[in-house]
Amino acid sequence: MNGDGAARITLRAAIGSFIFHGESTPALSCVEIEAAPGRLTAVLGGSGSGKSTLGRLLAAWLAGGRDGVLRGTLHLDAGGDPEDGSLVFSGTDDDPRIDPAAWADHVGYVPQDALAMLSGVRGTVEEELAFGLENRGAERAEMVRIVAETARRTGLTGLLERDPATLSGGELRRLAVGCAIIDDPGVLILDEPLASLDAAGARTVMELISDLLDRGVAVVVLSQQVDQLTRLASHWLVLKDGGVMAAGRPGQLLGGDLLAGSGVVVGGAQGPRPVPATSAPTAAAPALELDGVSFGFESSGPRSSRLLQNVDFSVVPGEVVAVTGPNGAGKSTLLRLFNGLLRPLDGEVRVGGVGIAGVPTGIVAERLGLLFQHPHDQLFERTAQREVLFGLDRLFGVDAPMKAAAALASVGLDGAEDVHPHELPGSGQRLLALATVLAREPAVLALDEPTVALDAHGFERLTAAVSAAAGRGAAVVIVTHDLAFAQAHAHRTMELKDGVLVGC
Amino acid sequence: MTPRFHPLTLLAAAAAVLAITTAASSWPVSLMVAAGAVALAAATGSARRVLLAGGAILAPFWLSLLVIHGLFYPEGRTVLLGFGPARVTAEGIGFALDMGLRTSAFVLVTMLFSFSVRVPELVAALNSRRLPPQFGYVLASTLMLAPIIAARLQKVRQAQESRGLVVEKGLRSRLNAIRLQMVPLVLGLVHDAGTRAQALDARGFRRPGPRSSYREVSDSMGQRGFRFCALLLAAAAVVLRIMASYPGGQS
Amino acid sequence: MSQPSLTLPTPGQQAGRRRRLLELLGAAAITATFVFLVLTQPADIAGGLGSVSALVALGGFLLGAVLLIVAVLPTLPTSTVVLMPVALVLNIVLGQLMGTSGLPFYFDAIGTVLIAVLAGPAAGAATGALSSIVWSFINPTVLPFAAGAALIGFLAGTAARYGLFRRFYLAPVAGFVTGIVAGVVSAPIAAFVFGGTSGAGTGAIVSAFRAMGDTLLAAITKQALISDPMDKAIVFAIAAMLVYALPRRTTFQFPFVRRFNVLAGKAPAQRGA
Repeated sequence: MNGDGAARITLRAAIGSFIFHGESTPALSCVEIEAAPGRLTAVLGGSGSGKSTLGRLLAAWLAGGRDGVLRGTLHLDAGGDPEDGSLVFSGTDDDPRIDPAAWADHVGYVPQDALAMLSGVRGTVEEELAFGLENRGAERAEMVRIVAETARRTGLTGLLERDPATLSGGELRRLAVGCAIIDDPGVLILDEPLASLDAAGARTVMELISDLLDRGVAVVVLSQQVDQLTRLASHWLVLKDGGVMAAGRPGQLLGGDLLAGSGVVVGGAQGPRPVPATSAPTAAAPALELDGVSFGFESSGPRSSRLLQNVDFSVVPGEVVAVTGPNGAGKSTLLRLFNGLLRPLDGEVRVGGVGIAGVPTGIVAERLGLLFQHPHDQLFERTAQREVLFGLDRLFGVDAPMKAAAALASVGLDGAEDVHPHELPGSGQRLLALATVLAREPAVLALDEPTVALDAHGFERLTAAVSAAAGRGAAVVIVTHDLAFAQAHAHRTMELKDGVLVGC
Repeated sequence: MTPRFHPLTLLAAAAAVLAITTAASSWPVSLMVAAGAVALAAATGSARRVLLAGGAILAPFWLSLLVIHGLFYPEGRTVLLGFGPARVTAEGIGFALDMGLRTSAFVLVTMLFSFSVRVPELVAALNSRRLPPQFGYVLASTLMLAPIIAARLQKVRQAQESRGLVVEKGLRSRLNAIRLQMVPLVLGLVHDAGTRAQALDARGFRRPGPRSSYREVSDSMGQRGFRFCALLLAAAAVVLRIMASYPGGQS
Repeated sequence: MSQPSLTLPTPGQQAGRRRRLLELLGAAAITATFVFLVLTQPADIAGGLGSVSALVALGGFLLGAVLLIVAVLPTLPTSTVVLMPVALVLNIVLGQLMGTSGLPFYFDAIGTVLIAVLAGPAAGAATGALSSIVWSFINPTVLPFAAGAALIGFLAGTAARYGLFRRFYLAPVAGFVTGIVAGVVSAPIAAFVFGGTSGAGTGAIVSAFRAMGDTLLAAITKQALISDPMDKAIVFAIAAMLVYALPRRTTFQFPFVRRFNVLAGKAPAQRGA
């Protein structure tokens, strides 16, 4: 173990069908996949296409019987007898029960949310890495050696003493990969390994993956985006609604129009589609104004150390403004100042010409709808419809159901009224959260990184909803790190850098 | 800083002191133990935290005891003050003092223990003693989860306020606000727990057989001997008390 | 490298029997302690009550709770174990808040009941006991109530098993009954270990009964019979509300929920509001 190369293992799976308990339609049907040593395979698909379910089944994170009804075969081939290691599932109680730990010795899996990979009970990176070894009862000297070796391969050597909770996104992703490869599995499955990483973070993860491929590991990447990583794959499998839509070499699939209906975002290939709302409106009273606003989390510090310094900003009805800037520049802080979640140290914030000093956020929200990144934090009802309807009767009286239906339709969720919000796919949850804000028809709409984790369908609906809101006269502020999106869809783009907001 | 003790040494010491205090059941002993705990806390630099945390627990407790026994103690004979149905009796006050001091000793010793033990070391020690690994996991995870949950509740609140949910005054509105915040909080946590369970399984959490520990917890012959003696002493105190109560007939 | 088995063996009989034995021993320790305390309760508390009673109450109930934990924990699936810390934090935070509010309620079992409904009586009992033990790191006075907390989890799981959580109005009824039992079991601890109660609100009620001439144990038991059933009825209702707010894919992960059809067959959304 942990020698020069991992054991060369081929994983073949033929999933006849997989149905989660309590559901009637299969999450996956008729999917076949093979992961071969030293080869990169990409599973592409939109939100809700079943790619994460496939990844979890391959890695035995989802088990037939416990989590749902599985029909099909899983086959691990370590070069020996081809019959050896073949598991057949027929959806009955006599099916084999995979030992997740033994399976993980051969097939590693890293979930999209890297934090979920961590045990959460270890105070340092090295102890977190050693968790799997401790559970095997490994000797301490051996543990130290393996932890050091894995840290070297994942570039974590300098971080071993750190608390995992303090790591950045890219570091966390590498730690999660480190936890998965501590036992040197021959197959590694990565769910959206580049999602929400900035350029530097993405580069380190890319390097790690190519190192693994060189060692002969079979790597499977699940992604809803055609990006630098998935373009390297030797084989693509495109999923839609739990079934295979297309399969083949990337060149073949990219050439035709095959990916169009899949919901896969093709990076860089989308033509700019400017906001339909003609030109930027001009002569009107600003819907939102920031006047000489400064902010820092320590009010006593010197002025130069403040996160935001003397920011002037205004947006008029019908206008779409994008704010970009690197990670940690204070974009989210700026948004929180808009509706009073944070209060400026100096200067004034005015919504519709009226200062919001002393006005509770919940009241400001009647005129300024602010949408955060994580829909999980906002949704609390049992169905999508009740979610959008919540509190609307106080604003619109008997018109409330109509407004709710219109808002759901505007994000393409008509037809999903009775679905539990948490059972919508990731893209759908974000759109539902957007609908709850749209339904209230605020004068100002502020969105925090709205494009992250959206598939191509969600992307279209987002842009349509934004232009519709601008069309009816709402001012829209979008905070995003996606410069291309900002330039394509906003009337104006501003950059937040070193505490100052500049137009560009 | 004093040399680090093995977490089980601390645990054995605390348990023995508590057993002996309870067995002795006399207020001078309780007072001495409570004072000793505070003095030890002062020596290790955690007096402030021990007193604050202990005080928060003990203040309402003392209040409750004094109300119950100070004012109403039907068994009391020596009446010091009487107004209506309430009678302040010497026996009642004595009983309240007795119980209050015993509980104070109990609380202060335990607080001293929880502020001096390092939870990761305790978990490592428990795991290598072949206690179910789930026990150590639940203990450590609960104590590490609290700040995460607090941060998450804050995020839920902000997201909902930004969505336009206003918490008004009045019981109904407040209860509703609790529901609105509890549901996403619990849903999110349960969802995360599901993924984490699969991750733990894949990392061998349910593997049978012994565990090892990456974290080294220093132990010594002396400490092992101390633990043995402490538990022996505690057992002796309990046995003595039971023997003294029964044959003699004096409870 | 030899190929170890990739599948799980069927669980061994012997290990199961040993755990069963530990479970029974734990339950026996709790029952015996309770019986001992009630039978030997001193008629006159003035004569230095409680040293033996306190030792027996502490030792017996704690031993029972620990045996239950050791017996049950290894049998639980990881998805339940991972939920326990969440339940414990809920218990502790809400319990701590209630304890300082001055109301004669506890609210420290919502997480326990949640687990019991999702994962069954054994898991509920272990959660209750663990909750007291972990909470005692912050508030040691709850440690002796571990057995009572385990009982609440056990009863909540039993109620769920027999379908009392299928109708929303039955959950508080089950809570009320659980509260009666839990109150009676916990009262001797409050009386013999602490000589009273730890909250100002509950203390006032005890005083009232003492003023009428009740013995301490009787007064505390009556106070518990006033506070506990109400408290548990509310707690069960809140837990039911939370369980029904969970998506089906989540609740159906739990074999206990599927096997005993714990929750109403249809999604709550279709029942109308």
